[in-house]
Amino acid sequence: MSGYNFDRLKVLVVDDNAHMRKLVIAILQAFGVVQIAEAESADRAWQSLRDSNPDVIILDWVMEGMSGIELVRLIRSNPQAPNPFVPVIMLTGHTSLEHVREARDAGINEFIAKPVSVKTMMSRLVSVIEHPRPYVRTGSFFGPCRRRRNVQEYQGPERRNEKATVLAAE
Amino acid sequence: MARKKPIELFMPPNMLKAKVGGGHGGPDLAAMERAEQALTKLQSAFADWMAEDVRALTDVRAHYARTQEDGARNALLRTAHDIKGQAATFHYPLIARVAASLSRLIDELPQGAPVPPTLVDAHVDAILVIHKNKLQHADDKTALALCAALDARVTEVLAAPAGK
Repeated sequence: MSGYNFDRLKVLVVDDNAHMRKLVIAILQAFGVVQIAEAESADRAWQSLRDSNPDVIILDWVMEGMSGIELVRLIRSNPQAPNPFVPVIMLTGHTSLEHVREARDAGINEFIAKPVSVKTMMSRLVSVIEHPRPYVRTGSFFGPCRRRRNVQEYQGPERRNEKATVLAAE
Repeated sequence: MARKKPIELFMPPNMLKAKVGGGHGGPDLAAMERAEQALTKLQSAFADWMAEDVRALTDVRAHYARTQEDGARNALLRTAHDIKGQAATFHYPLIARVAASLSRLIDELPQGAPVPPTLVDAHVDAILVIHKNKLQHADDKTALALCAALDARVTEVLAAPAGK
């Protein structure tokens, strides 16, 4: 049974490796996504973001010029960004916990460690559709809440020393 | 110490869900099956893609050996990193492992420190041998011993004081 109308989704794939772009696009097309834009660099992606206006970005980390992490920071914090809330799924050969933390702190929504698989790609897409995180703005960060999933369910030590103001985004 | 700026939490409306719908909220199994079939069809291209990646690696290795420039070093890192991420998909898991070791060597050495050329060559040559001999399984004992030796040498180099 087909659960989602993926044909209504606009996805931007950013990777400097043409083979990886082909692979990811083949998976997305098989899922039913038809509106796919691609960029071979973060610089190109940033330049074309206003035109492509994607619903989801699938982004490599290590690229010549601007890195994927730098692009996420621009998307989240630059006033020129068309949609600072756009979900970003980072698809990268980096696999260490340090890298996952760095990506999270830059403002990514989901992380996929290469090699890419159909199962993981579907899982992360479903995650951004079904379990969107609230976004947080502090003095030094804007992006998806870095506490996993439901903030109200957080059971860990309380490091925030003030109550958050909850706002509905326009 | 109190924060200068209060924390704001935004709850954007779920436009994605509104757009794509979806009744059961789980993975779309039919779409996954189609994607697996699409990857199977693509497999005939994997050998060519792997060959192109290996060729690109030898090119950037040669460029770095000739120039020792930061740009060439970064290109070597990017290429090794790409291969690390995709060689397993192309059915060359041992190449992915050697490329991971090469990426680690270049990435973790300070930017100004030279990357030992013999160790770069050892990695690139190992990848060439694995590719030439079509060693596509992760259980080849000789290749595994080579991978372990390269990993160990990289660990030694990274642990050594700078310049040694």
